[in-house]
Amino acid sequence: MLGNLYDSAGQPGGDMTTTRLRGTAVTARVGLALGIAIAVCFVTGLISHFIQHPQPWFFWPTRPIWLYRVTQGLHVISGIAAIPLIIVKLWSVWPKLFERPIIGGLVRQIERLSILVLIGSMLFQLSTGLLNIAQWYAFKFFFTTSHYAMSYVAAGAVLVHIGVKLPIIRRALGDPVDDTPVFVGPTRRTVLRGTWLAVALATVVTAGQTIPLLRKVSVLAPRSGEGPQEVPVNRSAIAAGVLRSARSPDYRLTVANGSTTRAFTVADLAAMPQATHRLPIACVEGWSANAEWTGVVLANLVAAVGGARDSDVRMISLEPPGPYSRTVLPARHARDAKTLIALKLNGQTLDIDHGYPCRLIAPTRPGVLQTKWLTHIEVVP
Amino acid sequence: MRIALIVVGLALGGYGAVLVWENPPVIIMRIVVWALVGVVLHDLVFAPVCAALGFAGRRLIPGRWWPPIAVAAFCSVVLVFLAIPVYDKPGLRPDNMTVLDRNYPLGLWVSLGIVWACVPLYYLAARLLPVRQNEVVEQQSTDHVERQPPAQ
Repeated sequence: MLGNLYDSAGQPGGDMTTTRLRGTAVTARVGLALGIAIAVCFVTGLISHFIQHPQPWFFWPTRPIWLYRVTQGLHVISGIAAIPLIIVKLWSVWPKLFERPIIGGLVRQIERLSILVLIGSMLFQLSTGLLNIAQWYAFKFFFTTSHYAMSYVAAGAVLVHIGVKLPIIRRALGDPVDDTPVFVGPTRRTVLRGTWLAVALATVVTAGQTIPLLRKVSVLAPRSGEGPQEVPVNRSAIAAGVLRSARSPDYRLTVANGSTTRAFTVADLAAMPQATHRLPIACVEGWSANAEWTGVVLANLVAAVGGARDSDVRMISLEPPGPYSRTVLPARHARDAKTLIALKLNGQTLDIDHGYPCRLIAPTRPGVLQTKWLTHIEVVP
Repeated sequence: MRIALIVVGLALGGYGAVLVWENPPVIIMRIVVWALVGVVLHDLVFAPVCAALGFAGRRLIPGRWWPPIAVAAFCSVVLVFLAIPVYDKPGLRPDNMTVLDRNYPLGLWVSLGIVWACVPLYYLAARLLPVRQNEVVEQQSTDHVERQPPAQ
């Protein structure tokens, strides 16, 4: 077959464009890139999960301050990069779907079932992730838990697939990309170059929501990066139902350590020593923005009620009870000098959509845990 | 090595299945259906349409034009996929104007325009630049060394 193509390649009147573009040489190379993208996606996704659901063994540092911005940015970037890769990967093996025997014996059925699980879980992860960053909840199941559960299914299926195909992968990666010279028309090298080009394109048109340099050209990013005080918002004051309570003259921030409690008005907080830090706000949905935050160092408030430096600190919002209306800040972050109870953003009084009267802003934390419209701070015993 | 990969893979996948299993039956069904619909749409709709277009394109489009057009078509497919969740902003909520705050139709059409504008540019560059002999050699393996070059 390949020999025939070789012979006919230059013959007058021969089909000069006919070439076998599909082949393990393409499948293995694109598969390798896809495997890397999936690995990055899986690991960064697990990091984000364990920050939000802390385990005793899980260590998450406070430096560098942009760490979560990078890991979660990579999560969404690698997921989007996987879309063109999986399209080419599936294209390269699609004819196998119709290979005989269609049903075959038990081993063949198991192999087909494992491929079904692999493709199904991968398409599930990529499609739900892509819809989630655009906040389009077309699916009627809870995103975070199902995306988390299916990530293990997908990662497991990928490992099984690599295990089964390893000898073929090794051989294919050692082979030249094109085994026949092609003088006119596309080659497998064209396929690979086109794939890398599409990956670059997909990244450029979306990654600007976390890479400022690309902001203008990321025409399909769910966020332009604009927002009140130059920072986008994920949960608005209206959605949180805090418009009235946040502006109430009776507002107090109470800080408690056991029976020791102190209440602060907004003026009290503003009268305390203020610190200003440039910290990124990085959302689980993959967008992020650097901003200048001004406020009271949390450790000073904790010290004001005699809290220990190795205590976790619970943050409670004015928002009625819900999954994100209260969070526990680990002691490592609570005692960090850059962790602020912010009153100002980029030099202005915090916009109500950014958490007026005050909000938490700590380094290396997902935006969803940077509790807004704070009303209680409790030192966890 | 292979056994280890498969065993770890089965363990991870099994753990994922347990996590899915913790949902109520109706949610499990929705998750499974969503995953299967993705596979069916790819295997029986998307892939056949692409194959048909590729089959037709290869016969209708001259050989030298085919590589840049195929790559541009693929880039267009990727752009359209990425545009689906944002194009007419199905996730928009009136209380938050910082999400889905771009002109996505304009963005999609301009990016498609740029992609397709590259096709004639690539064609011209490929015609005007000297034949890249090393590319022909690069594509050859040791099998080709003793063979006759194609008759011209």
